[in-house]
Amino acid sequence: MSLKSVARVAVPAMLAAFALAAAAQQPNPMDVVPDKMPNDIPYGAPIALDHAQAAINAAVAESKKRGWKLNVAVVDSGGNLVAFARQDGAQIASIAISEHKARAAATFRRETKAFEAGIQAGNNYLITLDGVIGSRGGIPLLEGGKLIGAIGCSGGTGSQDEVVCKAGAATVK
Amino acid sequence: MKTKPCLILEDCKKIGAAAEAEARKNKWNVVIAILDDGGHLLWLVRMDGATPANAQIAIEKGRTAAVSRRTTKNWEDRIAAGRTALLNMPVLPVQGGVPIMVNGECAGAVGVSGVQSHEDEQIANAGIAALG
Repeated sequence: MSLKSVARVAVPAMLAAFALAAAAQQPNPMDVVPDKMPNDIPYGAPIALDHAQAAINAAVAESKKRGWKLNVAVVDSGGNLVAFARQDGAQIASIAISEHKARAAATFRRETKAFEAGIQAGNNYLITLDGVIGSRGGIPLLEGGKLIGAIGCSGGTGSQDEVVCKAGAATVK
Repeated sequence: MKTKPCLILEDCKKIGAAAEAEARKNKWNVVIAILDDGGHLLWLVRMDGATPANAQIAIEKGRTAAVSRRTTKNWEDRIAAGRTALLNMPVLPVQGGVPIMVNGECAGAVGVSGVQSHEDEQIANAGIAALG
């Protein structure tokens, strides 16, 4: 083997080894071990139908006011459907999406916006978690600091869904 | 082109309120689902005490009635009469799903689950009667 051919092999190999070493020195944010549990919200009693319907009515009123057509679902603290309404002309695919958003918000104890933001930031592993939906418009309903259910809206852009969702969530305190 | 009646949210509220009133009158805790003529959910209430399973069953009964344009009792009766092949059909053949017929056209359906099947159907019928 000539010197030239050794250099042709050795130089890229050295560069590759250097790149690996540099990567190894970058701290992996996934290795951080926080002291406290994230989203440590206790589950409360399942939301009563009256509360669920009040949330849906407020959400639909907000959507109507803006001339939007959405599907609104409310689930209980176990993620099970309690009440649902589809506005006239709302898209059919969003029946399932609104319920999915509500269920994800209840079972993960966080807004679905958190998944959207995480995926957008490059944390693609989030997509592999069971029951995740990476789109805003799902919000947990907390009463006295306990999670009693969640509301999910779908049919518009994620941002439209979220505005309507918040109007519904505001009825539960 | 032919035109046909279409349920709007206000209709659902009317049907839902009447069905819920019928259930409350009898102290029954049920789920009431209202679906369009394609079997897609329009409205749902799970009364306090009704189970998560009731929600799924009510939707399936309603979907069956909507897309087959006949009551789920009709399906159940035919199977009970010995037509067991119908068990393999993509329907839930248990009484409690009723189509909403307007001028001979199916506009959707109501599915109820939570009490005895004939009582579920009684609630569904009370809801549809409120449409006038």
